[in-house]
Amino acid sequence: MKLECDLGKIKNAVSFTEKITSKNMTLPVLNSILLTASGKSLKLRSTNLSIGVEIEIPSKIEKDGVLAVSGAVLYGVFSNINQNENIILKEDNGNLMVQTKKSKVKIKCQPYDDFPTIPNVSGSNFIINSEKFIGGIKSVYFSASVSDIKPEISSVYIYSNDDGLVFVSTDSFRLAEKKIKMNNTLEVSGILIPFKNIPEIIRIFSETKGDIKVCFNKNQISLSADGVYFTSRVIDGVFPDYKQIIPKENKTEAVVLKQDLLNALKLSNIFSDKFNQLNLKVLPKEKMFEISSQNSNVGENNTNLDAALSGENVELSFNYKYFLDCFGSINSDSIVLKLNQSNRPMVISGVSDQSFTYLIMPMNR
Amino acid sequence: MVDAKELWKSCLNEIENEVSKANFSTWFRNTSILKEEGGVIYIGVPNEFVRDWLQNKYHKLITKTVAGFFDTMRAVEYAITKIEGPQKDLPIQNAESFMNNELPLKDLYINKEDNLNPRYKFDSFIVGAFNELAYAAAQAIINKPGASYNPFFVYGGTGLGKTHLIQAIGNSIKEKHLDKKVHYITLEKFATDLVNSFTAGNNKTNAFKEKYRKYDLLIIDDIQFIGKMEKTQEELFHTFNTFYENNKQIVFSSDKHPNFIPGLEDRLKSRFAAGMIVDISEPEYESRLAILKVKSKELGVTLSEELLRYMAESIQGNIRELEGGLNTIICQYRLKNKAISVGEAKTLLKNSIKPKKNVAIKEVVKTVADFYNLGEMEIYEKTRRKEIVRARQVVMYILREDFNVSYPLIGQKLGGKDHTTVIHSHLKIKTDLKNDSSLVQDLEQIRIMFK
Repeated sequence: MKLECDLGKIKNAVSFTEKITSKNMTLPVLNSILLTASGKSLKLRSTNLSIGVEIEIPSKIEKDGVLAVSGAVLYGVFSNINQNENIILKEDNGNLMVQTKKSKVKIKCQPYDDFPTIPNVSGSNFIINSEKFIGGIKSVYFSASVSDIKPEISSVYIYSNDDGLVFVSTDSFRLAEKKIKMNNTLEVSGILIPFKNIPEIIRIFSETKGDIKVCFNKNQISLSADGVYFTSRVIDGVFPDYKQIIPKENKTEAVVLKQDLLNALKLSNIFSDKFNQLNLKVLPKEKMFEISSQNSNVGENNTNLDAALSGENVELSFNYKYFLDCFGSINSDSIVLKLNQSNRPMVISGVSDQSFTYLIMPMNR
Repeated sequence: MVDAKELWKSCLNEIENEVSKANFSTWFRNTSILKEEGGVIYIGVPNEFVRDWLQNKYHKLITKTVAGFFDTMRAVEYAITKIEGPQKDLPIQNAESFMNNELPLKDLYINKEDNLNPRYKFDSFIVGAFNELAYAAAQAIINKPGASYNPFFVYGGTGLGKTHLIQAIGNSIKEKHLDKKVHYITLEKFATDLVNSFTAGNNKTNAFKEKYRKYDLLIIDDIQFIGKMEKTQEELFHTFNTFYENNKQIVFSSDKHPNFIPGLEDRLKSRFAAGMIVDISEPEYESRLAILKVKSKELGVTLSEELLRYMAESIQGNIRELEGGLNTIICQYRLKNKAISVGEAKTLLKNSIKPKKNVAIKEVVKTVADFYNLGEMEIYEKTRRKEIVRARQVVMYILREDFNVSYPLIGQKLGGKDHTTVIHSHLKIKTDLKNDSSLVQDLEQIRIMFK
């Protein structure tokens, strides 16, 4: 192998692929990145057998070749080379030589025979603007269940509705739904991407401008854009028909400024107990909206907020963590809280932005 | 063909010698032989990574090895299967998760394509004297859908497991006959769908017909509401005929026998009767006990045998009431974190336990009189008009059979009759029931009204 390529590009590619490499006791080659030089490009590939990623960078290839190099070492090397220039990679007796004008690095390689191929996904596909797609995932994935017991909800669920895509996650205590409008209608009956693979998707594609091509079938999904090919296992399961639990009407409604509420929640956090319990009083008749928490070891606090209230009086308790989680996904200065009795979920959404809906189940008192 | 498990085991033993240990444990773990069809062996693999790798790297080796054990083999194919993980590890109920209420998602895991809830399986279906006929018929249907009992009509009161049974039929057929398209729908949705297709215009009405006729198994739940929906009856009739002619299985559930669904057209009635009609009654003591045992195990709680026996004895209702009672007990158990005694259970359950049937005699008279379109007072009259005599006898029979009222008391309450008259009436109805099927139906219908 002998080639020359842009340093910035290969740095980027190494940092993305290195994250996927894994320590695998039975298949040690998985800790390496596979470099393949052929035609007019260099391909970097890594996989942990749940995710696979392949990044193609245009290069001047003098001699084709394949090498498997430890991801950690390669990453270390590239994060410490800072000249703004092209670099030369070549093979030397089973080692990888990395050359710039000033430095010369020799990295030991591993046999690459056992390096797995990554699946080329065939099935349905659609094209979506990358910002929209990543935005959709980002708005909901924090709500997914972290435990493996129910793989269906330990995932982000994506399906199409009449005018776009819908992203949903739930851990059965709270639920987040984000609707993304699209100009073209799609036919996506439902994809479940494992929650654990979501941060990698966000990392790899958050910088991408333009469109992502998404291919999927029952077992696998792939995303590709700008020479990056990413593939993940998907879960073959059934996501709960969550729409039935979104309350269609409500008895109490409160509109508050997002920033006010956020500050009050952060204050309550200091005094919350080990269950993260936070008490919420919404009393339209007394024109009162109060957040309080107490911890016998620390103290207590009560915060009253200015709010537009309507409906019946209601008092509930919530896990403040669940409450706080949704603020990043609401793009609106004021938010609406819709409440029913103390054993029904509270619905949160932005006043001017109806695309995001968040449900929290109250706590037992 | 030899046992697939054995075959694959011997293949793996041989393959293990040929490849490195690392490769073997990475790529051959969690693989299995799924089936053999016309000489093609299907190997189940956990994901596409493994499939691609086996296909590219080890296909020759696998083919050669399998051929060594199974000489009529023609080819090897790979298919991705779900690995049944250890489903048993239930979430540990700690104090925190007890504080946090869950969203009621549990019953909403519905497969979009066929509307079935995968939770409803025969594994969790408890068979007892009360439902064994229905269960046996269901098994026959699963083996040969469309051939044995078509249509299959299940009826019984609420909370006795009708939906569980018919959904489990759907899920089993889906598993067993991979090519069969199954669809579950409640009558209400079927009707809404139909109405929507009308409002959407002619094209859509055809789309509606097409949609339902492409399935191989149609399950319609809660059919009893069809009475007033004339257009739905007509559409169901046509759909039914298409299914029936093509030997495709149809399954219905209802809370009443088809003969008692008010407003049901005769042509539908007779079609329902053409297949098999079975009822599911309330579970008897042994079944209730079995249900409680299974449910408490599912919820990850061990309750004492004595307590379970007490609950099975005292909660004499449908399965839903049993579950309710069990939940109350478990809730207390978790709060207190100690075993619940029978004494405590008594106080806890006093609301879920129905008092022994204690219907006022007047109530029975009124119900029966209503049923026969008579005035309540006429029953008490001293008259020998035929229709009144019959009604009066039915009243006496029910009071004696169902409510255990003594003969003299019945006589006294029904206008001062002698107890021998009552005995005679009771006996008369009892013998008539053996020959008169319309009387049997009358009684069934009347009894439903007492529930």
